[in-house]
Amino acid sequence: MKSVLIVDDTMFMRLSLKTMLEKNSFQVIGEAGNGAEAVEKYKELKPDIVTMDITMPEVDGVTALKQIREIDGKAKVVMVSAMGQEVMIRDAVMAGAKNFIVKPFTEDIVIKALSKL
Amino acid sequence: MSEDGISKEPMLEMYLFEGNQLVEQLEDIIIKCEKDKRFEMGAINEIFRIMHTVKGSSAMMMFNHIGSVAHSMEDLFFFIRANQNIQLNFARLSDLVLSGIDFIKAEMHKIEQGHAADGLGDDLIDEIKTLLTQMKKSYEDQHATPAVVSNSSPDGTKTKYYISSYKTPPEENAANIKYCVRVFFDEDCQMENIRAYMVVNNLQDIVNELYHIPADMIDNEQSADIIRDNGFLICFSTAVSYAEVESALNQTAFLRKMDINQVDHYPAEITALHRKREIVLEDTPEADRYPQSENLETSKEGDPRTSNNRQQNIISVSVAKLDMLMDIVGEIVISEAMVTKNPDLAGLQLEGFSKAARQLRKLTDELQDIVMSIRMVPVSMVFHKMNRIVRDMSKRLAKEVDLEIIGETTEVDKNIIDHLSDPLMHLIRNAMDHGLECKEERMGTGKPSIGKITLEAKNAGGDVVIIVRDDGKGLNRDKILNKARQRGLVHKPEHELTDKEVFSYILLAGFSTNEEVTEFSGRGVGMDVVTKNIEKIGGSIAIESAFGKGTEIFVKIPLTLAIIDGIEVSVGKSRYTIPTISIRESFRIDEKDVISDGDGNELIMIRGQCYPVLRIHRIFNIKNAVTTISDGIMVMIESDSKTACLFVDKLVGEQQVVVKALPRYLKKVQGIAGCTILGDGGISLILDINGILERQLS
Amino acid sequence: MVTTKMAEVLSDYVETAEDTQRGKFLTFSIGKEVYGFEIKYVTEIIGIQEITEVPELPNYVKGIINLRGKIIPVMDVRLRFKKEAREYNDRTCIVVIDIRDISIGLIVDHVAEVLVIPSENIVPPPAVKTGFHNRYIKGIGKVGTAVKLLLDCDKLLNDEEIDTINKTV
Repeated sequence: MKSVLIVDDTMFMRLSLKTMLEKNSFQVIGEAGNGAEAVEKYKELKPDIVTMDITMPEVDGVTALKQIREIDGKAKVVMVSAMGQEVMIRDAVMAGAKNFIVKPFTEDIVIKALSKL
Repeated sequence: MSEDGISKEPMLEMYLFEGNQLVEQLEDIIIKCEKDKRFEMGAINEIFRIMHTVKGSSAMMMFNHIGSVAHSMEDLFFFIRANQNIQLNFARLSDLVLSGIDFIKAEMHKIEQGHAADGLGDDLIDEIKTLLTQMKKSYEDQHATPAVVSNSSPDGTKTKYYISSYKTPPEENAANIKYCVRVFFDEDCQMENIRAYMVVNNLQDIVNELYHIPADMIDNEQSADIIRDNGFLICFSTAVSYAEVESALNQTAFLRKMDINQVDHYPAEITALHRKREIVLEDTPEADRYPQSENLETSKEGDPRTSNNRQQNIISVSVAKLDMLMDIVGEIVISEAMVTKNPDLAGLQLEGFSKAARQLRKLTDELQDIVMSIRMVPVSMVFHKMNRIVRDMSKRLAKEVDLEIIGETTEVDKNIIDHLSDPLMHLIRNAMDHGLECKEERMGTGKPSIGKITLEAKNAGGDVVIIVRDDGKGLNRDKILNKARQRGLVHKPEHELTDKEVFSYILLAGFSTNEEVTEFSGRGVGMDVVTKNIEKIGGSIAIESAFGKGTEIFVKIPLTLAIIDGIEVSVGKSRYTIPTISIRESFRIDEKDVISDGDGNELIMIRGQCYPVLRIHRIFNIKNAVTTISDGIMVMIESDSKTACLFVDKLVGEQQVVVKALPRYLKKVQGIAGCTILGDGGISLILDINGILERQLS
Repeated sequence: MVTTKMAEVLSDYVETAEDTQRGKFLTFSIGKEVYGFEIKYVTEIIGIQEITEVPELPNYVKGIINLRGKIIPVMDVRLRFKKEAREYNDRTCIVVIDIRDISIGLIVDHVAEVLVIPSENIVPPPAVKTGFHNRYIKGIGKVGTAVKLLLDCDKLLNDEEIDTINKTV
C-alpha cells in the first residue's frame, strides 16, 4: 500500500482526496495546509507520494515541490491545479512533478494519476 | 450522489462548514475595507484566494451556480490584484462582493436545509462582468500597455518553442532508429497540452532528437484541443530498445491509446517543422510569473479564524461526536454516583472503598471539566456577524454607527452559541432603529454624530454576561409604565416598581411603545421572542437605561447546562435538587420563629434581616410532606436580586448532577429547570432558583 | 408483569419493517373495552414502575419515568378517557409509543394481544357525541364478533385540548 501526504490549504479538498485515496488502497499518512508545512511533513513522514495543491498561502505548491525535490530527488509529487494554471504546471513538471490533475476532479482521475507512480 | 459512488454526506458537511467559515471571513474583510476606505493588497489577495477556494470546492460538489458566482468574483479580483494601480470604486466593489456573499450564503443555507441550490446568480455575474469590463477599459485608457487580463499565461504575446536538451548531440548514427508515435489521452484529463509536454519530458533522456505536433504546447491554448482531436504526434530517434521506448511512453498517466511505429523517415509535416523552428529563450524572471508572491502583506489580524492553515494544532471535530462524548461523560457521572452512593453500602464503614471512591470522583471531575472545555467556543464568530448587520442597517437608516466589540474571546458552550445569534441580531437592530437617534438629534443634544453600540461579553461566576449597550435616547419609564397599565400588566403599586422592573415590561409579548412599525422592529413581536430564546438556553435578560443617555441590555446565560453540583432534598415522596451555587446556608428553625402576615405569606428573621419563607410542598402541591416547621429544614437560597428560604422535609445529600431536560411534551413549569437520574435509578427534579423566586415573589 | 410469551410476540413484531406492520394493532383493555393502536408506534412494553410526579401536569399525565436513562412522560389512559381511576397492580403495563419524535408511556390496565385487522374490517366511528374519548377513536375494528376501538395516537397526544388545559393550569 502506497503512503500519501496530502497538501492543500482547504480542509474540503484534503478531505475529498483523503476519502478517494483511502477507498482505493492508498494510505494517507499526513496532511499539510501550506508549502512550508508540506516540506516539514515530507521530511518527517517520507511518504511514497505527495499530492500538492498549487495555490497556497505562505509557500506555494511549485516552490514546495522544488524544495522537496532538493531533499529527495526521487520524490513523487502530483500537482493539483485549477484551470488556467498552465504556466505553473509546466514549471512544476520541469521541476520534477510526476503528474498533475485539474480541479474539479473525480475519484477516477485521482486514482489514474497516482496508480502509475 | 455522484456517479463515482462516494458518499457525499461527510463531504457536504465539510463543504458547508468550510464554506460558511470562508464566507464569514470574507465578510469581515470587506467590511473592514469599506471602513478603511481602501483595499489593501493583503485583503485583495485574501478575497481572491477565498473565491478561488469556494469556486473549486463548489465545482467538486457540483454546485455550479455557486461556483460560477465565485469564479466571476475570482476573475474580478485577479484583475485587481494583477493591476495594482487601478482606480477602485470602493462602494460599488464592496456592494458587489457583499451581494456575492449573500448569494453564496443563501445557496448554502438552502443546501443545509436539504433543498436544491437552484439560485441563478446570472444577474450578479453580469454585474460583476460589467464592472470588470469597465475596469479593464479604464485601465487601458490610463496605460499604454494592455492590462494583465486572464488567469493563465501572463505573457500572452510571443509564441515560444521549448527545446528539450538532449543528452547526445543530434547526429546521424546507424544505431539510431526513428519512431513515430501518436498519443491519445483520456477524455477528461484536462490540459492535454501540458500532458503532451510531460510525454516529451519523459523521453528527453533517451532520444537524440525529437519533434512534435502541435509544435507549441504551452502557450497556444488551442493545442489542447488539437491534441484532444488528433492526438499528439511525436517523432524521435533513439538508440535504446523498443522496450525501453515503450516503457518510457507508458509512464504517461491518462494514456488512452498509443500508436508506436518505427519509420525510416519522418512524415512530411514533421520535416517542415524542423526547418521553421525558432529558438527563443525564456527569460522572464520568476517573480513576475506568480503575482501572488509571498512578499505581499497578508492579513495580520491575528484572528484565529482568518488563518485556518496557520493553526496546525487545531483539529475540527464534528459536533455530533462531542455531543456523544458529553452524553457518555454524563452517564459516567451518574454511574459513579450509583456505585458510590449505592443503597447496598448504606451504613457500612468502608475506608479503603471511600478513599478509592474519592479518587474516582476526582478523576470524573477532571474528565468532565476537560470535555466541557472542548465544547467551549468563543463568541467572536457570533459577534463578528453583527458587523454586517450594523453596516447594512447603518446604510438603510442613514445613521452612522460604530460597533465596538469587547471580550470576544469569552467562551460559551457550542450548544448555546447557535441560539445566541438571532436574539443578539434583534437586540442590535432594535438599538439601531429605536435606540440611536438620527444625526441631527444627536448633534442637537451634544452627542457625537456617530452613534455607538457596544457588544460586550464577560464571565460572571458560573454565567456569561453579554451586554448590548447603545448611547441613544434611552427608555422612557413613564411611557412604558402607561402602556403596561393600559394592558393590565401592573400588579404592584407603581412607586414600588424599580426601573429594572418597569423596563422589563418591554420584554412581554405584543408590547411596543412605538407608534410606527418599521421594517426592522417595532411590531412588538421581537422582544418576547428574544426573551423566549434566551430562556430556552437557560438565560435571562435584564435592562437598564438612562433617559437621554442610552440603554444597556444584559443577557445572562449559564456557561453550560450540562452538569452541576447540587444538594438533594426530599419533600413528601418527591426528591428535588437545589443547585449548590444558589445555596447560602441551611438550618433548622422553630415554629415560633416564623412570622405570618395576613395574606398567608411567611417570613423569618435571620441576623436582623427578613426573608420570605417558601414552602415547596405548597408551591408544587406535594402531598404527604412535612408541614410542621420544626420538623423540616430551611434552605436559604439566592438569585442575583432576591433571597428567600425554602422549606423542605430534609436534606438527603450532596452530589453532582447531570441535568436532563424534562420531556418536551410536558409544559414547562416555572421553577423547575430539568431533572436528573439518581444513584438508585429514581428521578430528582432540579429547581430553577430564579424561576422559583420570580414566581413566588413577583 | 409482562408475560414471556407477550414479550416474545412483541419483540417479533416490533422488529419487522414498517410496511409489514401496517394493519397490525396492539390491543389493550381499559375496563370492559378493548382499544388498539397501530403497532408501528409501539417501541416497547414494560411493567408498571415507579413514577416521579411532576407538578402542574394535567391529572391524566402521571409524571415521568426513567427508562434506561431516558426520561419519558407517562399518561394514564383511563384518566385520559375520563374513566374512574384504578389502582395499579402487576398486570398494569406501560406501553411506550413513539410518534414524531415524542416518546410517551401509556398506562393501561393490561395488554391483550397483537391482531391483524384488514382495512375492510375497519369502519369509521359513529358520529355520536356521548363519551369524551370518542374524539380519539380513528375507527372501529371488527374481529370476529368482538369490536376493538382503534385509537388515533396523534390526537391522543396532541389534542388542542391539551394545550388549553396546560394554559389554564
